[in-house]
Amino acid sequence: MSVATAGAPVLILRDLHKSFGATAIIRGVDLTVTRGQRHGLIGPNGAGKSTLFNLISGHYVPSAGEILLNGQSILGLTPYAINRRGLSRSFQITNLFPRMSVAENLRISVMGRHGHRFTLGRPVSRLAKVTAEVDEYLEKLRLTRRRDDAAGDLAYSEQRTLEIGMALATNPEILLLDEPTGGMSREESLYTVALIRTVTEGKTLLVVEHDMNVVFNLCDQISVLVYGEVIASGPPEAVRANRAVQEAYLGEEVA
Amino acid sequence: MTRSRRIGLLALIGLLLVLPLMLTPNLINAVIKMMIAGLFALSFSLAMGQAGMLSFGHSAYYGLGAFATLHLMRAAEHSLVTWPTPLMPLAGAAAGFLCGLGFGWLATQRTGVYFAMVTLALAELLFTLAPTWNSVFGGESGISTMRMNSWSINFASDASVYYLTLAWVIGSTWCLWAFTRTPMGRLALAVRENEHRVRFLGFNTHGAKTIIFAISATFTGVAGSLLAIANEATNYTVFSAQASANVVLQTFIGGAGTFFGPALGAASMTFFARVTSDLTRSWLLYQGLIFVIVMLFVPEGIGGLISTHARRLRATALRHLALPYLVCFVVGVLLVVGIVFVVESVHVVMSDAYAVLRRSNGGALVPYPLFGRQFDPRSPWTWAIPAVAILAGAALLPFARRLTSMGWSRSLKESAA
Repeated sequence: MSVATAGAPVLILRDLHKSFGATAIIRGVDLTVTRGQRHGLIGPNGAGKSTLFNLISGHYVPSAGEILLNGQSILGLTPYAINRRGLSRSFQITNLFPRMSVAENLRISVMGRHGHRFTLGRPVSRLAKVTAEVDEYLEKLRLTRRRDDAAGDLAYSEQRTLEIGMALATNPEILLLDEPTGGMSREESLYTVALIRTVTEGKTLLVVEHDMNVVFNLCDQISVLVYGEVIASGPPEAVRANRAVQEAYLGEEVA
Repeated sequence: MTRSRRIGLLALIGLLLVLPLMLTPNLINAVIKMMIAGLFALSFSLAMGQAGMLSFGHSAYYGLGAFATLHLMRAAEHSLVTWPTPLMPLAGAAAGFLCGLGFGWLATQRTGVYFAMVTLALAELLFTLAPTWNSVFGGESGISTMRMNSWSINFASDASVYYLTLAWVIGSTWCLWAFTRTPMGRLALAVRENEHRVRFLGFNTHGAKTIIFAISATFTGVAGSLLAIANEATNYTVFSAQASANVVLQTFIGGAGTFFGPALGAASMTFFARVTSDLTRSWLLYQGLIFVIVMLFVPEGIGGLISTHARRLRATALRHLALPYLVCFVVGVLLVVGIVFVVESVHVVMSDAYAVLRRSNGGALVPYPLFGRQFDPRSPWTWAIPAVAILAGAALLPFARRLTSMGWSRSLKESAA
């Protein structure tokens, strides 16, 4: 991984557009995420947050515009190629390997980085480095005692933790989290935010979140997406005070 | 692998090693075909069970393996190349791998039903092409050759073919089993579970699926090779959709979710077909019935059923389950007797031979021959046999199920205590 100074831009979106047929969903988004930032992306339903994530992670191809990861264009690259360049994402709807154990789920994330993508010559039990790293992540995610349970048998909040853990375990330079606390109770949400804070220490984050408390608690930079455009971007206090944001989105919630 | 499983496996290999000493040539041949079918099903199951790719065209790689081997055997027969007979399956492996790579690259662009359709179409392509392409597939009659003696082994004998097959089947099975333990094997499971997610974790899933498919086709090619060596001939019918469908059915009957299940299903169904096709013309009907019954009542297959019950038996011994198993067995026998009697009777009564017999007796419903006896179709005693068997079996069935589940929960309670 390249050594870069804090504050250098990791991800830059320039005038990004995406239309489905005649419907324009993303209408010229400019966004910069710098190294070490915890960048929150908020906006009302249908603002295009998920679409934006799908564009950045390579699931959709933009209609126009530019996406730079570490200064290089990742436009038109496949999701796996983008992942290998250091961008990983989690999913809003839990997206695991349900009949595989928790450790196996994490192993898939970890082993590729150790050059074991299509390895046929050695059994996984001999990949000591991979196993050690999987154990490390299990510990960090507080899932060690669930190690050998099927991922599909975990409690919802544990599944969400594993979901984030799998994205994290590919050791990306920038991690995209899609509603990490979606569908959680208040306590679960607090627990998860605290966990995200510790496990992503020093990482660059871009987080889509509905829960305002989570965003203002977790993020040091916030961008507001409304109808496919970023209407404000800045530190939490500035965004909270922003008149356009209040009118468009926050309304009485913040007032 | 657990200790008891390892012992079981070693016992099986030991049995297979001494089997030719005890069997007639005809039965040796049957066991050869069972082993080949087992390897075919295991290879198919690598794509289907592990990676979730339901191929409906695996006969393509089976057939290509067979033809490639026959061509190499012919070349060796005419002294164009020197290639020992025991290494002939390498030709099948190479043909399977190369075609699996090419066809697999195409087919794995799609998933699910579309994938199945593409694989089916590619196999059908070969099925229609082969009878008209004389130089490669020998036209409709196919090609044939002779096994050459090599390494001072006389390959004219059944026993030598048996041991050659056994060695390749054991070696290939070990490879297929080892595959499941490699990172690639784990990736195959992940692709089956959630291909979409795998893509976002840095893996080229299309590449992965192509390679997995090619590995499956490689060992399918080896199975085809072994068939060619055993028969010394083959023709275009190895490419038939029926052959592709057979391996799918056998794999599901055996249990697609277990490693050895498909081999068990394939070997037992091959044996079943061989035995019953000599005895009755309704054997395909019975085969279909078995498939339907397994899918309806034991969707995890014979292998899945055995592994669940074996685990329980290990934990609690036979005490709670011996009686339920016995009752289940009796119910099964009653139902089979009843159904077989009806099917065979109908078959005989509807046959041309019986029509001729009736005509010569002035159209009367004369007694018909079955199982070496005469049965009168007008006698209530004739129909009482299947009626009693089926009714008794059907009446006992709920009882047997309740008894089994009771014994099951009792043994569960005991192992929990």
